[in-house]
Amino acid sequence: MRIFWILLKKELHSFFVSPVAYVVLALVMVLNGFAFRAALSVLESAPSEGSIVSWTFHAMWFWLSYFFIFPLLTMRLFAEEKKLGTLETLFTAPVRAWQVVGSKYLASVIVYCVLWLPSLFNFKFSSWISAGQVEVPAGAMQGAYLILVVMGMFNLAVGCFASSLTSNQIVAAIISFTLSLMHFLLGIFIMVVGRKISDSIVDVVNYFAATEHIRIFTAGLIDSRPLAYYLSMSLLFLTFTHHIVEFRRWRP
Amino acid sequence: MIDVQNLTKQYAGRTAVNNISFQVEPGEIVGFLGPNGAGKSTTMRILSGYMPATSGRAQVAGFDVFQQSLDVRRSVGYMPEMAPLYTDMKVKEYLRFRAELKGLGGLAMRKRVGEVMELTGINDMRRRLIGNLSKGYRQRVALADALVHRPKLLILDEPTNGLDPVQIRQVRDLLRNLKSKHTVLLSTHILHEVEQTCDRVVMIHQGRIRANDTPENLTSQLRSTTLLHLELEGVGNLAEKLAALPGVRKTNEEKLLVHPWRRFTLRVEPGHDVRDAVLDLALRQKWRVREMHRQLPTLEDVFVELSMNAGIPGDIPTHVL
Repeated sequence: MRIFWILLKKELHSFFVSPVAYVVLALVMVLNGFAFRAALSVLESAPSEGSIVSWTFHAMWFWLSYFFIFPLLTMRLFAEEKKLGTLETLFTAPVRAWQVVGSKYLASVIVYCVLWLPSLFNFKFSSWISAGQVEVPAGAMQGAYLILVVMGMFNLAVGCFASSLTSNQIVAAIISFTLSLMHFLLGIFIMVVGRKISDSIVDVVNYFAATEHIRIFTAGLIDSRPLAYYLSMSLLFLTFTHHIVEFRRWRP
Repeated sequence: MIDVQNLTKQYAGRTAVNNISFQVEPGEIVGFLGPNGAGKSTTMRILSGYMPATSGRAQVAGFDVFQQSLDVRRSVGYMPEMAPLYTDMKVKEYLRFRAELKGLGGLAMRKRVGEVMELTGINDMRRRLIGNLSKGYRQRVALADALVHRPKLLILDEPTNGLDPVQIRQVRDLLRNLKSKHTVLLSTHILHEVEQTCDRVVMIHQGRIRANDTPENLTSQLRSTTLLHLELEGVGNLAEKLAALPGVRKTNEEKLLVHPWRRFTLRVEPGHDVRDAVLDLALRQKWRVREMHRQLPTLEDVFVELSMNAGIPGDIPTHVL
């Protein structure tokens, strides 16, 4: 476990000495600002069932930022080490593969969580300036941020996996972006096709439709099924990553 | 310290290391010598626990490199070829990170990092970003990293690659000083280095061990002929008389401008020393000798010979193999 913390410290360090974390942070903050403004203008124009939280996470701006985060945060993780050759120095020190994979993944999850901190301020800010007139329901907040973290964990695991496949960061980013977007588009597919197809297919697809999860959770409804789904899928992709990193050791 | 038995490594149908066996005793400095692509790096990677062999067995410090990989990695300080390092870290920061990974901690770790920085001469660079260092300094940071946990065995893959002559000499001196505390296996294709540093040479070519002996033995047992340079004064057909001496294979006369003196180069069969015979002959013939100089074959000649003859194993003397 000691080794794990040492590696985690090093990973976090390399996130914050490189400009990547700050660039992504800036991007996310700007787009969150747009999303928040879009939500405000919806509430401004007409009475609405949704809260400011649900409208914020329904905005196109939110999804625009969302899919850029994962490739940017994860493409470096293994691809850079492969390119530099430092994977060799790393694995000739007494470290285990799970410690390396786990520390890199956890570091990216931590950075990801940091990215969403400024958006919390947006909601605080709105209740300040409106003297409590804009209602920010606590349940919606908890639900929204819970699903954000869990969806992030899944997509970061996908990104880790993509990065372990190649020594080229661009390729890693493209693989990660494609996989995350494909997963997301499954949900959009239902929105586009609508009720023209059988209900059972719609129900099945809704199980892994990110837009649907966001809709439910930002309404303040915490459903355990998406949580179980995302967490188990994260574990699956981390296991893949572990096997790819460890494959070197088993290849005859 | 190292025990390698019938080690073979294949990459996608290409055999990089072919059934090699060798031992390294504690306290030895062993040079791993061979042309590029001979299988040196592959063998070292297997020994450092980075990747497994296709077949065969290798033990380092009594641990099996595959089954007890973590124990092996704790007792080995490995410096990979090209010295890969994290370019976004500072020297001291990097060495502390590595020392912690290898199980050092607290005050002992700080002290040891200071020691290895002193030892490898990178103290002045400790606050510099590794990415901004020159090749020579990076190489030394990697060496400091290999040393930091006081490993029993150092495996250094081309430690002097990319260094300038002064730095090469420093690294060589460093390695000699390390001898008392560590066993060293280093690879190189600079022969001079091996002759100066190593107790023993393992020559590898096309994945097979071609020779395994001390540098002196290797050169003396060599098939290559020694050369004897002579400057004489005398009349008549000197070359013919010299060539008649037992052990002389060939005599060449070179043109010399200073008139009465004549210059000869004799090719002498291995295992023969004809210097006394030449002097006796000169005395009997009343020649005057003003220079006699024997040129011994260098390890370089052995190396070239072994590399050239690699395809025809029968051509290599069995006592060298």
